[in-house]
Amino acid sequence: MTTTLAVDLANILCDDLMDNGFGPFYGTPCGILAPLYDVLEKRAGLITVSREDNAVGMAAGASLAGRYPAVVMQNSGFGQSVNALASLVVPYRLPMLLVISLRGVHPDSTQENQVMGRLTEPLLRGLGIESVTPSDLPIGRRRPVALLVPPSAFGWSA
Amino acid sequence: MNKTDALRTIIATAPDQPIVFSTGYMCRIARMIADRATHFYMTGSMGLASSIGIGIAQQTNRPTVVVDGDGSALMNPVGLFTAGAQESLPLVHIVLDDGRYDSTGGQVVPNRPDFCALAWVCGYGRVYQVTDPECLAERLGTVLRSCTTTTFIRCVVSGPDSPVPARVDGDLGGHAQRFTAALAAQEGR
Repeated sequence: MTTTLAVDLANILCDDLMDNGFGPFYGTPCGILAPLYDVLEKRAGLITVSREDNAVGMAAGASLAGRYPAVVMQNSGFGQSVNALASLVVPYRLPMLLVISLRGVHPDSTQENQVMGRLTEPLLRGLGIESVTPSDLPIGRRRPVALLVPPSAFGWSA
Repeated sequence: MNKTDALRTIIATAPDQPIVFSTGYMCRIARMIADRATHFYMTGSMGLASSIGIGIAQQTNRPTVVVDGDGSALMNPVGLFTAGAQESLPLVHIVLDDGRYDSTGGQVVPNRPDFCALAWVCGYGRVYQVTDPECLAERLGTVLRSCTTTTFIRCVVSGPDSPVPARVDGDLGGHAQRFTAALAAQEGR
C-alpha cells in the first residue's frame, strides 16, 4: 500500500466521521493510526492527550456537554482506559466513538503486543461496548461504540 | 475547615456553574448539601474529575468547577498537565487536600507534593491556597466573576466529616442526562 493511498483512506474516514457529526476528537498517537491521526489533527482539530484514559475522561466531559466525541488510541491505551470505560462511560451511558488500533494482530508479531492483541475484542465484549466498521458508524441512537483498526488498514508494517 | 465546610462554601459560591465532584465522600457530602442538576457526581473513575471538567469547559466555554481530592490528583496527575496547557480555559480546579484517602479508611497518601507549585509549573494561569471558608468563598467568587484562565485552588482541609451521607444511588445514566439537560438549558438562555 502506498503512502498516498493511506492518506486517501484517512481522508475518507475523516470525512465520514465529520459528516456524521462526530467531534471533538481526542487522541494519543499510534503508529498504525498515524495517517488518520495527521488528517484528524489538520482537518478536525484533534487534541493530543498524554494518556488515553484522560482522553476518555475529556471525551466524557464533551459527551456530557451534548457532543458526540471520538477518542483515537492504540489498544495498549485501551487497556489503560478499561476502568474509565467500565466505571464512567458505560454506567453513565456516555456516547462516544473509540477508534482503537490493533497492535499484536497479524501482521504485527511484536511480543509485547500479543496479549493485548488477544484481549482487545473480549474486553470490549465484557464492557458491553459494540464494535462497528466504518460503513456502519452509529449516527442515529448515540452510544459508546468502538471502531477497530487492524495494522494493515493504513499501510503499517513491522 | 473540614470537607463538608469546604463543599458547602463551594456550592454556595457557584450556584449556577457546572461542578464535577470527585469520587467517594466528595460526591456523597456534596449531594447531601444540595442535589442540583448542575452537579455531576463522578462515583467511579478515580483521578479523572479534572479531565471531565476540561472537556465540559472546552465545549461550553463557560466557567466549570472541579472538586478533586489530593489522593485523586496524585493517582492521575495528567489532568493537571492537560489543564495547565490550556491558558484560556475557564476551569477552576479545586483540590481538597487532607493528606488522606478519607473514603477508604483514612490511609495516609504516599506523598505531599506542593500542589500549588505543581499547578504553576503545569501552566495554570492563577494559583491560590486557602485554609478557611471565608477565603475560599472570596477567591472562588472573584475567579468565577472573571474566569478567563485555568485556575487552581489548593484548599487545606482537616477534621472529621460525620456522619458521612449515603452513597449516590439511582440510575447513573439518568444522572448524566439530567446534567446534560441542565447545561443545554443554560446554553439556550
